[in-house]
Amino acid sequence: MQARQEHSFEFTGKGWEYFRIWIVNLLLSILTLGIYSAWAKVRRLQYFYRNTHLAGSSFEYHGTPIAILKGRIIAFVLMAAYTIAGQMNPLLAILIFVLLAAVMPWLIVRSLRFKLYNSSYRGLRFGFAGSDGAAYAVFLLFPILTVLTLYLLAPFTHFKIKQYQHNNSRFGDTFFRFDATAGNFYGIYLKALGLLVLAGVLFGITAAMHMPWLGLLLPLLYLYIVGFMAVRLPNLIWDKTGLGEHDLYSRMEVGKYLWIAFTNLLGIVFTLGLFIPFAQIRMARYKFSCMGLLAQGDLSEFVAGQVQADSATGEETAEMFDLDISL
Amino acid sequence: MVAARYFDGMSSTAHVVTLTLDGEWLQLRGELLAHEWPLQNVKVSERLGDTQRRITLPDGGHCEVSDHAALDALLKQGGYRSGWLDGMQHSMRWALISAVLIVLVFAAAYRYLLPWGAEVVAQTIPPAMLQKMGASSLQTLDRLMLEPSKLPLQRQQALRDAYAKLAPLPDAQLPYHIEFRSAPQIGANAFALPDGNIVMLDELVALTGDDNEILAVLAHERGHVEQRHALRMVLQSSAVGLAMTWYMGDVSSLLATVPAMMVQASYSRDMEREADDYAARTLVRNGLSPCLLPDVLRKLEVAHAKRQAEAVSDKQGSVMDYLASHPPTQERSAQLCPAH
Repeated sequence: MQARQEHSFEFTGKGWEYFRIWIVNLLLSILTLGIYSAWAKVRRLQYFYRNTHLAGSSFEYHGTPIAILKGRIIAFVLMAAYTIAGQMNPLLAILIFVLLAAVMPWLIVRSLRFKLYNSSYRGLRFGFAGSDGAAYAVFLLFPILTVLTLYLLAPFTHFKIKQYQHNNSRFGDTFFRFDATAGNFYGIYLKALGLLVLAGVLFGITAAMHMPWLGLLLPLLYLYIVGFMAVRLPNLIWDKTGLGEHDLYSRMEVGKYLWIAFTNLLGIVFTLGLFIPFAQIRMARYKFSCMGLLAQGDLSEFVAGQVQADSATGEETAEMFDLDISL
Repeated sequence: MVAARYFDGMSSTAHVVTLTLDGEWLQLRGELLAHEWPLQNVKVSERLGDTQRRITLPDGGHCEVSDHAALDALLKQGGYRSGWLDGMQHSMRWALISAVLIVLVFAAAYRYLLPWGAEVVAQTIPPAMLQKMGASSLQTLDRLMLEPSKLPLQRQQALRDAYAKLAPLPDAQLPYHIEFRSAPQIGANAFALPDGNIVMLDELVALTGDDNEILAVLAHERGHVEQRHALRMVLQSSAVGLAMTWYMGDVSSLLATVPAMMVQASYSRDMEREADDYAARTLVRNGLSPCLLPDVLRKLEVAHAKRQAEAVSDKQGSVMDYLASHPPTQERSAQLCPAH
């Protein structure tokens, strides 16, 4: 067995450079009442993909603005129908809500296909092969069960969603694999719950001891819990994800993540939003610097999948939707 | 000559190649590789900062180029024209111009588009929905800060009847209803709800010298009802909230509600003037002095200044004081009865 070689991701986006692209596109988006935002989104993704490097090569985004615009119009019409119906007649609103819930898994599959098909690395496209049937279980059945069990199933549902997403993703014709267990997810959720209980106990103590200033610690603890989830879950998910015989990893730290998130928030508030592009670059730089690939052998040996050759029909349906649903 | 990395689109292997231009033909040369295509059949990606540019080739493969200067020279030689946005996206001057224009557009939309849009939308909202909004806001107010009125029922009815006797303005068309409540926490005040409910507080009734002053206040509130001010304010602040949420993205929806509240406070200044005007026209039409309203306003000002002083000395300033939104009383008086 060959020695494993560690390749770290590297993000080379620069704040000022991205700021110039961002603000010109923001202006055009506003002047066109949001229509141009589809073009702005493609530029943003292209800028971020091309600045993300792994083992000497960068990623590329191929989505077309028109496809994204179509998806947005559909999403807008659906939401408008729901809102207007809600004001006219509550019964009609419930009907439309049920209808939306029924098509949502189907839409999510389309948007995942679109997103992955339009991403490439070294000239090879990613792809998504998840079935609609499984999507209905993962995005509709399990979430309903989660609510019915008072969220006891939440970590399990999260696990199933990630398992479905990653096991069905491929690069060229090589599939990703997801080796996490539901137990891993329960572990992180339970730790967060434990911290929350601790916060409650602390609150009780400070109230009982008449030391309200200690109560100031509570927002900090709450913030820590948010950071804990935002760091430990992606770490787990990427650590347990592999591509063929290669393994991925993510080693973010809660303290560093929270520091970046907090200073980003301050920057955005005090510059009335002008800091947004800088904040996005900072966060991407940190996240990618913590991620990497443990390669087994050569990275050149992936080949294009079957779908690549006759992609025309797949591309057409995939380009119908881009709902940008982040999971 | 441009150094590039060529991918054939079928495998992830990178080939080191060079690109040159021969007339209108782009030539690709590398170890065991020799291709050429007309430059016009090749798609060159837009420049995005320092990121490598991508040349999509007719054979399904592509090249990645990091040497921007060399590629620009080659493209220029081939007569390739970059898009109009290319220069804008990379100049600091355009970034500044964009920032200024964005601020101007937001300011104009806020000052002109928003009030106009709210007015248009307000006309389309069905009365049944207004009724629901008004009822639920009165319920909330009743629970949080209003108490039942201590005025005798006959007195309440007498005031209602006195107002009903006034000839309405010819353009008046929306239904209204007068409710009496007490609210020691708020002090002397009256307000109009979206469904046409006018709430008159005992504290204000106590402050007025004669009933004509109460009628003036009711006419002012009726002006708010007629012009659907409550509804327009709700629409405007939710539109601002939405825009802020979109702009700020995932920062925090909490932050987005703060400017919405500020808008509410400053917007109602224009609306107060409109309501003042409505009240003055009602009073004049009924042979009453338009100065009745300024008289009440002055009394209100004195009463609230006193309350504020007390509140400060008690160290319990209230949110209501903080969001005071009425235009200066002097200015309003001058508008309403110049002779006064």
